[in-house]
Amino acid sequence: MGVSGIRGSMAEETKRNGKPETSHRPETDPKRDDKNYYGIPPIKRAHWTWQIYVYFWIGGIGAGSHLLATIGHLLGWKDEAFFRTTKYTTLAAMTISPVLLIWDLGRPERFLNMLRILKLRSPMSTGSWALSVFGSMSGLVATKQAAEDGLLLGDNFASRLAKLVPDRLVSVLALPLGLYVGAYTGILLIATSVPMWARNWLLMGPTFLSSAVSSGLSWTSLVLHLGNWGESKTLGALKRAERVVLVIEAILIAASLIRMGKWSKPLFSKKLGPLFVGGTLIGGIAAPLVLLFGKETRERSILASVLVLVGGFLFRYVMVVGGRESADDPESYFSFAKKDGGRPEVSGEGSE
Amino acid sequence: MATGFLTDTTVCIGCKACEVACKQWNQLPADGYELTGDSYDNTKQLSGDTWRHVAFIENPKKKRLTGDVDLVALAEDVKEDLPNGAELDGLGRWTFMSDVCKHCVEAPCQQACPTGAIIRNEFDNVYIQPDVCNGCGYCVPACPYGVITSVPEDGRAFKCTLCYDRQIDGLEPACAKACPTNSIMFGEVEELERVAEERVKQLHDRGYPQAFLYGTPEVGGTGGIGGNHSKFILMDVPETYNLPENPFLPQDKVAGATVASAVAATVIGAVVAWAFRG
Ligand code: SF4
Ligand code: SF4
Repeated sequence: MGVSGIRGSMAEETKRNGKPETSHRPETDPKRDDKNYYGIPPIKRAHWTWQIYVYFWIGGIGAGSHLLATIGHLLGWKDEAFFRTTKYTTLAAMTISPVLLIWDLGRPERFLNMLRILKLRSPMSTGSWALSVFGSMSGLVATKQAAEDGLLLGDNFASRLAKLVPDRLVSVLALPLGLYVGAYTGILLIATSVPMWARNWLLMGPTFLSSAVSSGLSWTSLVLHLGNWGESKTLGALKRAERVVLVIEAILIAASLIRMGKWSKPLFSKKLGPLFVGGTLIGGIAAPLVLLFGKETRERSILASVLVLVGGFLFRYVMVVGGRESADDPESYFSFAKKDGGRPEVSGEGSE
Repeated sequence: MATGFLTDTTVCIGCKACEVACKQWNQLPADGYELTGDSYDNTKQLSGDTWRHVAFIENPKKKRLTGDVDLVALAEDVKEDLPNGAELDGLGRWTFMSDVCKHCVEAPCQQACPTGAIIRNEFDNVYIQPDVCNGCGYCVPACPYGVITSVPEDGRAFKCTLCYDRQIDGLEPACAKACPTNSIMFGEVEELERVAEERVKQLHDRGYPQAFLYGTPEVGGTGGIGGNHSKFILMDVPETYNLPENPFLPQDKVAGATVASAVAATVIGAVVAWAFRG
């Protein structure tokens, strides 16, 4: 099969101009981009598949929800529906997340090797630890909630034990870890050689965090609206928070794009551009802001929440997939890894 | 004692003995029978199954056949009158380079690895413990030279071990052993550095001022990487060989990024609290 394929293509080559030609014509074949070494990427892209950006999204919602629940506690809120929603959301997100992460491993049966060592300079390591510890703590908090809601099959030993959990204290202690779960996904991306990610090293974590919180807010507001559960005071507070956090997110994304400069090209590619511009920038930030600042109706709030959630997902999708395109582009990497290129600040700094 | 490679590309003849020796010794599977059309290079690049790769660079730098070249006319040495506006800017020369893991002094792959699978062994080489790696793949985008790669069929990441097993038995790595021109030299890093310095000087004296050593903290091993234990003598800009000129250690940014995220977390937390108070 292979042989006939080769013959076939050789016959085709010979036909051109009716002259014999080499198979490799460096600058005459319009289909080939032979810059540098035959256009072969000088760095390798990450293998990460859909599990990763779905995890980035779900983990963010869980982290955001935990922040809301903790602040609600600290402010002495009493809205049971709000606490139920946020706490069960965090628990669900922290249950799904490890499954997705383990699924994506090349050797899933060895996932526990992540916890055989803690390496502070590896966001993959610190993130795995944060996810494990935060997941356990949020599990405790949600278990107490479940006991209070009578979901642990009535008044038995387990439910009495669960009610002893100091949920406020645990929530507060878990907060830094939860926020780190929301932010580290961005730090994970920047600590690589992929130009589009590495270039935005300062703002990637903050941007992912803001998106995590806006997604958490929107999710909570969506659930409360759909179930007609939320007190109007809670719904108003969520809306106010959504507005400001979305504005912060918009500023961070704008600043990130400026910082990425020409290395942000993959975000505007034919494939990703419509998703990023239409889905994240317009659909996920601008449109919800218009809805949230306008007239107050239930429908508008629901629509805004859905848009923010979809936009947040697409943001993670284009960031991860854009990183593949960025890694595959030799020009992008070489211009980045050049003296006085994308990282002028690195020389000298790393040598101390 | 740190061991490493010095690959002198100026004497490489492109025989690929190193590629073959590496595959055989390390029992690596073949890459298939794909013809790339990229000169005589059908291997393309380093991968989890290819730990030595010989690059075939034709007519580097301007010395290229441009336009629609009639090779028959060329063979008959008809230098005037090339058809279709083709220019013959000298046939130039071949450039070969046997690429391999750089065995970085501060290795980005090793710092990225969350399981601690990647270590520095007693020879100060960067080594993946295959029984620890869980295939998270994070080392792959971390490497500034596109060396370490996941193997989908296996799940784990692989790269050059600098023939750890052979070194334990006092043997030199298979590629260095097989190289007929001594383009690949193996030895103590300091000794190799001395050899390289001499060789570069010799090349300069012989009228090749473009020769330089790649893999030092000045070029190739820059940005916190602190140089490479596996160095190369090159005759053209690094990009010609698909190598970055000024790579960096990605993990140098982790602390700063974490502080920035902590600041953002404080601000966002405060803003949400403010909004919740009404
Ligand atoms: S060249 Fe890449 S794979 Fe080799 S030690 Fe350096 S970072 Fe690791
Ligand atoms: S793929 Fe293996 S060697 Fe690479 S970072 Fe993950 S655990 Fe470490």
